[in-house]
Amino acid sequence: MTRVLVPLAILEGESVSTGLPTLLATMDVTVLGYHVLPEQTPPDQARLQYEDRATEALVDLEAAFEAAGGSADHRLVFTHDRDRTIDRVADDTAADAYAITGTTGPVDRLLVTLTGDIAVDRITSFVTELVGDREIGVTLLLATNDEPRGRTVLERAVASLAERDIDVEPELAVDEPPLEALLAAAAGHDAIVMGEQAPSLRSFLLGEDAERIAAESVGPVLVVREHRDETADGEEQRQS
Amino acid sequence: MSDQSSVGGANIEGDTPRIEPTVETDEATITDDAELERTLGLSGGLAIGIGTMIGAGIFVFPGLAAGQAGPAAAGSFAIGALVALLVALPASELATAMPKSGGGYYYISRGLGTLPGAVVGLSLWFGLVFATAFYLVGFGYYAVDTLAELGVTVGDGLVIPLALLFGAGVTVLNVTGTENAAKLQNGIVALLLSILVVFLGYGSLDAVGLVGTPSAPEQFAPFGTLPVLTTAALVFTSYLGFAQVATVAGEMRDPGRNLPLAMVGSVLIVGVLYVATIFVSTSAFGSERLATFGETAMVEVGRHYFGSIGAVAIVFGGLLATMSSANASVLSTSRAIYAVSKDALLPRRASHINLRYGTPHVALGMAGGPILALVATGRVELLAEVASFLHLITYGLLCVALLALRRNEPVWYDPDFRVPGYPVVPILGALASFALLGFMQPVSQLVGIAIMLATAGWYAYYGRGVSLKGAVE
Repeated sequence: MTRVLVPLAILEGESVSTGLPTLLATMDVTVLGYHVLPEQTPPDQARLQYEDRATEALVDLEAAFEAAGGSADHRLVFTHDRDRTIDRVADDTAADAYAITGTTGPVDRLLVTLTGDIAVDRITSFVTELVGDREIGVTLLLATNDEPRGRTVLERAVASLAERDIDVEPELAVDEPPLEALLAAAAGHDAIVMGEQAPSLRSFLLGEDAERIAAESVGPVLVVREHRDETADGEEQRQS
Repeated sequence: MSDQSSVGGANIEGDTPRIEPTVETDEATITDDAELERTLGLSGGLAIGIGTMIGAGIFVFPGLAAGQAGPAAAGSFAIGALVALLVALPASELATAMPKSGGGYYYISRGLGTLPGAVVGLSLWFGLVFATAFYLVGFGYYAVDTLAELGVTVGDGLVIPLALLFGAGVTVLNVTGTENAAKLQNGIVALLLSILVVFLGYGSLDAVGLVGTPSAPEQFAPFGTLPVLTTAALVFTSYLGFAQVATVAGEMRDPGRNLPLAMVGSVLIVGVLYVATIFVSTSAFGSERLATFGETAMVEVGRHYFGSIGAVAIVFGGLLATMSSANASVLSTSRAIYAVSKDALLPRRASHINLRYGTPHVALGMAGGPILALVATGRVELLAEVASFLHLITYGLLCVALLALRRNEPVWYDPDFRVPGYPVVPILGALASFALLGFMQPVSQLVGIAIMLATAGWYAYYGRGVSLKGAVE
């Protein structure tokens, strides 16, 4: 089954809104409670003091996901480096996507963006699993400068979703800045699904696209992770 | 293990050591309900080691050491490096076998038992406090010189007040600051190394007569060999940083590889830099004149080679280096206190974390308070020697702990790195550490012994019921 990682700054009171457990009811969910510590504080020291409280909160969240019909477990990590922790646990649990929680009620319609250099097939198959046999509509958005090619990609993706009886609508944005196109289209949708982008200078300077989109759009954002070749990844880590 | 059943016990308040089963991976420590991310890489480890050491060895000691031993002070630094290396190798083995925060204290309490562990753990706390006070006084001298370079002459009377002010600042910033300064520390160390490589590279060329004006050769050891050894004991404070790497062992990624590289690597790098620095500075001025410049002699050496730009670069470098030494040691001190308090040898309150800032404010206060008291004394050499004394005791016992563990290897003992030249290296390491104690001034030895007796007394009163030997999580 498909696994979604839900990272939360658990001791800072981050939680999930009511709509998210329902949206993820078709998925395996791992709730990742993390607590970022300043470098003066050894993670172990924080664990002794906060472990019980954090675990209590995580068990409650786990229950919320299970009550909505999904299956869930949790991990608790004390760390100095949030991104490293999320990456490691995502690899560890072989998560296919992670969620930026946002705020939403019941989800009726998803905005799925296929913009950029991403594996379209992975996103459409993730969306198929996510929607399952529920009445959730999907808008497929593609912002591109290459209209004919974009149209082909979009049509193929629409076909693969329509095959599974999903109510799907295409939207092609030509010669528009991708981020603006996405945020303009986000109105009327309850959640966004997007692909993970390779880190770029832009993301280094301005923060990751996913986080900016989450901040602008309020609703939850599901980021489908790139497929990782496990052996290559292992070697890369040994070298770093 | 046969004594596993007796592990634990309780202190006078009825608290027991918190010892839980854990699984160590290269990227995290996994306990029953939680994981602890390992976030420090090799460069972070080297930055802690080098950043702690370089301030003292290069920016404070050259003048003092040359005054005592002449150009042979280079030999004193070389002896220090050799002793440090003989200890860094066994320390690396122990650290890879027990990659836990707490460093020397952890290895000795697990390898030799609770009494030596308690003495070392608490002595390490005071050793770090003395070392930090010493770095801060060094900072004070550089702060005064900085003002002088800026055209504000305030005289040495302001050294101690400035050191106190900065010491209080470091403590407060560590309690309230939540921004990670680790990247800044890496940058500072990289900057310092670049300044030094340029400076020492040019200075060495000059000293051997390839550029500039040839200087009159001086007798290498004008005061004989004994001062070389006593100076080695004094300047050993410039090699204490590698053990600070071990206090963050629990937070280091791939500890089997990175811990030995960071500890041994930082000793080798600073050792070479120290010897080169003494060589270059005694060539520039002759040791007698160098000695008259005192704690900030390096500024004059910089001026000699590069004019006022050189002086400014060294003053700036000295400020950064003594700052980073002081800051890194305050962090290590609070970790040392935490490790001891986790094992119920200090009241549990000591490891309490502040709810507002998420920082261990009690431990930081227990570091900062005594540090300020010691800074106020302003006695650079005494502070340095007592710091070395307390660390050398730890180092000697650490080698003994390695020998004890190796002779009768417990099942849990499985280091990734094994010391080359066993048993010669740890035996020499122990002998050299203890021997160096003998070359210190009597007053430093007395202060050191008094502190150790006090810690043993505290153990007898507070933690006698605690048993830690072989208590590996």
